[in-house]
Order: sequence, then C-alpha cells, then structure tokens
Amino acid sequence: MPRTEKASSMTMELEQTRRPRAEKAAGKPVKSAVPKVSAWARWRFGLWVPPLVTFVALGIAWEYVAHSNPFVIPPLGNIAESITNDPSAYWNNLLVTLKEVAVGGGAAIVLGYLLAVLMCEFKILERALMPVVMVIMVTPVIAIAPALVVAFGFGMLPKYIVTIIVAIFPILINSLAGLRAVDPGTLDVLRVVDASRWEIFWRLRFPGSMPYFFAGLRIAIPFAIIGAAVAEFVAAGEAAGLGAMVSIAASQANLEVTWAGISMFCVLGLLFVAALTLLRRRILWWDNHGRAPK
Amino acid sequence: MNAALTTTGAEVLARGVTKRFGVRGQPVTVLDDVDLRIAPGEFVSVIGPSGCGKSTLLRIIAGLLDADEGSVAINGEAVPQAIRHKAMGLVPQTPALLPWRSVRDNVLLPTQVNTAANAGRNLLDVDELLTSFGLGKDLRKYPRQLSGGMQQRVAIARAFVFDPPVLLMDEPFSALDEITRDQQRLGLLDFWQSNRRSVMFITHSVPEAILLSDRVVLMAARPGRIAEITEIDLPRPRDESVFLSPQFREYEIRIREGLRRVMKNAQD
Repeated sequence: MPRTEKASSMTMELEQTRRPRAEKAAGKPVKSAVPKVSAWARWRFGLWVPPLVTFVALGIAWEYVAHSNPFVIPPLGNIAESITNDPSAYWNNLLVTLKEVAVGGGAAIVLGYLLAVLMCEFKILERALMPVVMVIMVTPVIAIAPALVVAFGFGMLPKYIVTIIVAIFPILINSLAGLRAVDPGTLDVLRVVDASRWEIFWRLRFPGSMPYFFAGLRIAIPFAIIGAAVAEFVAAGEAAGLGAMVSIAASQANLEVTWAGISMFCVLGLLFVAALTLLRRRILWWDNHGRAPK
Repeated sequence: MNAALTTTGAEVLARGVTKRFGVRGQPVTVLDDVDLRIAPGEFVSVIGPSGCGKSTLLRIIAGLLDADEGSVAINGEAVPQAIRHKAMGLVPQTPALLPWRSVRDNVLLPTQVNTAANAGRNLLDVDELLTSFGLGKDLRKYPRQLSGGMQQRVAIARAFVFDPPVLLMDEPFSALDEITRDQQRLGLLDFWQSNRRSVMFITHSVPEAILLSDRVVLMAARPGRIAEITEIDLPRPRDESVFLSPQFREYEIRIREGLRRVMKNAQD
C-alpha cells in the first residue's frame, strides 16, 4: 500500500517538526493516537513570548507614569520594597483573607453543589428555592455586606457569609445545568435495567456534571476573593485582611501599601486559578473542553 | 460460543396499546390499538414513515413511557417487573457511551446497577464479548478514540452483556454511513444468529429489515398502527449472499410497495 505509507510518513514529518527537540533527539517513536504534550512543549516560543512582551510593555508604561506622576501610582520598585520591609504584616493579612476565601469559598462549593443535587432530584425544591436564589443573586453584594456586618458584628462570620453569597451562585447554576445535561440515551439504558436514583446519580449525573461544576468553579473562586475583599472593606473597623489593609492605606494616601495589597490579591487569585487548572486537568482528562484527544 | 448462551429469548406481547399526546390542546393519537407479539428468540423489525409511532411503541415496551390503554407483557410479566429482573437490553439511536469510562467499563455499566437482578444470571465475559464484536484490541480505549461504527458496536455489546432475553434496538445504525452500516448489520446478524434472543429492531431501511428479521412489521402514521406484517422466509444462518437471492428481491418489492401505500394513504 504505497499511498498509506506515504501518507503516514508525511504525518511523521509533520509530527516531528512540531515535537520538542529533546524528544526528537532521543528518537522516540511517534505515537499520534493520544499525544502527551510535555511541559517543555507547552513553553513553545509562540506561547510565552507574546504575553511576556505585553507584560514588559505594561511595566515600562507603569514606570513611566509612576515617575512623571508619583501621586497617581507608585513605582514598582517602591511597591516591592514596601513588601520586603514588612513581610510579616502582608503575610498575616494575606492569611486572614486566604482563610475567608478558603472557608467561605469552600462552604459555597459544598453547599452550591448539594443544593444543585437536591434541586435536580426534587423539582419541587427548585420551584421553591430558585426565586429566592434569583432575588439574592441580582442584589449587589456590596449593598448586602454592610447590613450583614451590622447583623453579625465584626468577626469572621459576616465575611464568610458574604463570600458564600457571592460564590455559591455560579456553582449552583452550573452544577444544576450539568446534572440535567446527561445523555438521554444513557439515561434510558440505565432506566431499562431499573437503576436506582442513587445509581443514576453516582454512575451518570455526578461524573457528567463535573465539566459544568469546574466551569462554575472557575467563576466562583475569583468571586469568593471579591466577596472576601468587599466584606473586609465594609468592616474596616477591624483592621485585618488584605481588603482592610488596602482600604485603610488608600484612605491615608499610602500608595505603596495600597498597591502592594492589590498585588497580593492578584497573586492569591492567580494561585487559586492555577491550582484549579491543574486539578481540572487531572480530574477531567476525558472532557478536554469537548475536543477529541486525537 | 458459550454453551449457556443457547437459551432463547422471552415472549413480548403488546395488546391494544394506545397512546395519545396533546399537541397544542389537540390530542394526537400516536398509537392506535396496536397488537404485537414477538415470539421467544424471534427477530422482528418495525419499519414505517416517521410519525408512525414505532419509537413510541418501543419506549412503551421498554417501560420508558406509559401507554394510555392496553398492556405489555414480557413472558407474562408486566413491564415494571420485567425491568426489575433486567429482562430487557436497550440499544439507543446514538451510542450514548460515557466518555470517562473505557470501552470495557462502558459495556460493564448495566451489570453494575440493580445488582440484585444479577443473581443467578449468565453475565457474559466482557473481554470475550468485545472480542467477538471485533473490539478485542480496544478494551482499554475510550469512546472518543473509536469510530462511530465501533462506538455503536460497544453500545450493542452493552445491551448483550447481562444476557437479557429481550433486546430493543431503536435505529442503532441510522447515524452511520452506508458502508459502515452494512458492516455493522452483518456483524449483528452474525452475533445474533449464534445468540438468539427476542429482538425488536426499529429501522428505516428495507434491506436491513429483510436481512436481519424473521418478520417485518410495517406501520402506518396518523394514527400510528400496524399496516401489515411480512414473514421473511429466508433460510438461516444468513449472510451477505441473501442480498443476491431472488426471494430477497421479492420481499424488498413487496415491502416497498406496502410503504408506498402507507405513505399515499397518509397524504389523502
């Protein structure tokens, strides 16, 4: 079969030009069925150079503005210096915020998914609760937060509640959609053999809802950080957490501390999203964003 | 083949099955007083224009839908009892495989639910079953790595694995291209001829129905009813060569004429 041979040698060539140098040198056989992208391959030129250029350009622009208008934004060096001068203050505030995000966000994830399961299994619960969910969802959290602080005081509780309120909706709405979006054919196959509700949930709905659940997580985690920041802003009387730190520093026109606090939020968010991406790749290897792993 | 597989299927008996759906307040009779008997080990195809209620009939027999009137019995048992015993296997129109399960685990799915009904039953050896379906090398693959035809074979294996006496197949090959479809038909024919079970097979293809079936049931639409039943008296075991026999041609002409009559009446 000369034609097939030619075709396959052409794909070999294509594969090899695309493959990282290290593997080509080792002369490994090219397995094209499910190519494993190595860490090195992900660092191809076209992937990391464009964003790097963007960040460098932004940095230069920042420095230019900071040096010509020192009362608008501080130079990057001063921000870094502010952190290295008093790392423990930043660290302690970061831990407070991290705790709020972890506890509030964690509770939102568990409650949101449980609520979605209950609403999926008992339609009457959805009828009963969904309107309330909508009412709370359309109310700006920044308006609810001060009222919660009044009701629950300056402790951690109102912060957890605000975080839960913001983060629960994407989890609930997405998970419910995912639990319902199972293949009707598979559902029929299971019903014909009298699979119980629990079996249908465990074998079909639960794994099937995971891509939706993770899509919800991707929105919910940044939302949880917003919730924690908002709660700290409105309860600034208690000077703990990055939000309180930013709020107090800004009111004192302390630009270095303000921006150092903001950058901490940024790092916090990035760490969570990176962890989520890794977790997703481990758990949802079969989903692959709907693309075939070919 | 496994000696224990020689047991044949169960009788499927539908009597006076009537089903109405409300479409914008207007009741539409989808099935009107349908009687159908599938003998143990008989392969029955149901063919007819769209809207004749053949899928609805299958769903009522499968217990996925309730009839408004009439009754269905599987070996004398009502459908809910038959379901509890896992008496029926379903092959849906799409393969409907779980992407997170390997081929092997997808086939095993029906054996992992309602395990009480597994007692005393002849569960087939998955690896052997898949090998006889030509998927011996693909046990550990995932559905996305398979072609459409292979996926549908996995779905058929999933219906056979717990050895139900009745198999319900709802146009299992309709999503495949013609060449793949021919291959799948012959594969199913082969497997069924050495593992006879009662089969209700819905199709749009006249040659497919003749090749596989002992009887071909022609249904008419508005209201959905059985128009005529053709006994296919071709010797078994059959293979590709039946396509060339003159009897096959005669059956094809007769059923196509029946289809034309049914379609014409629906237009009048």
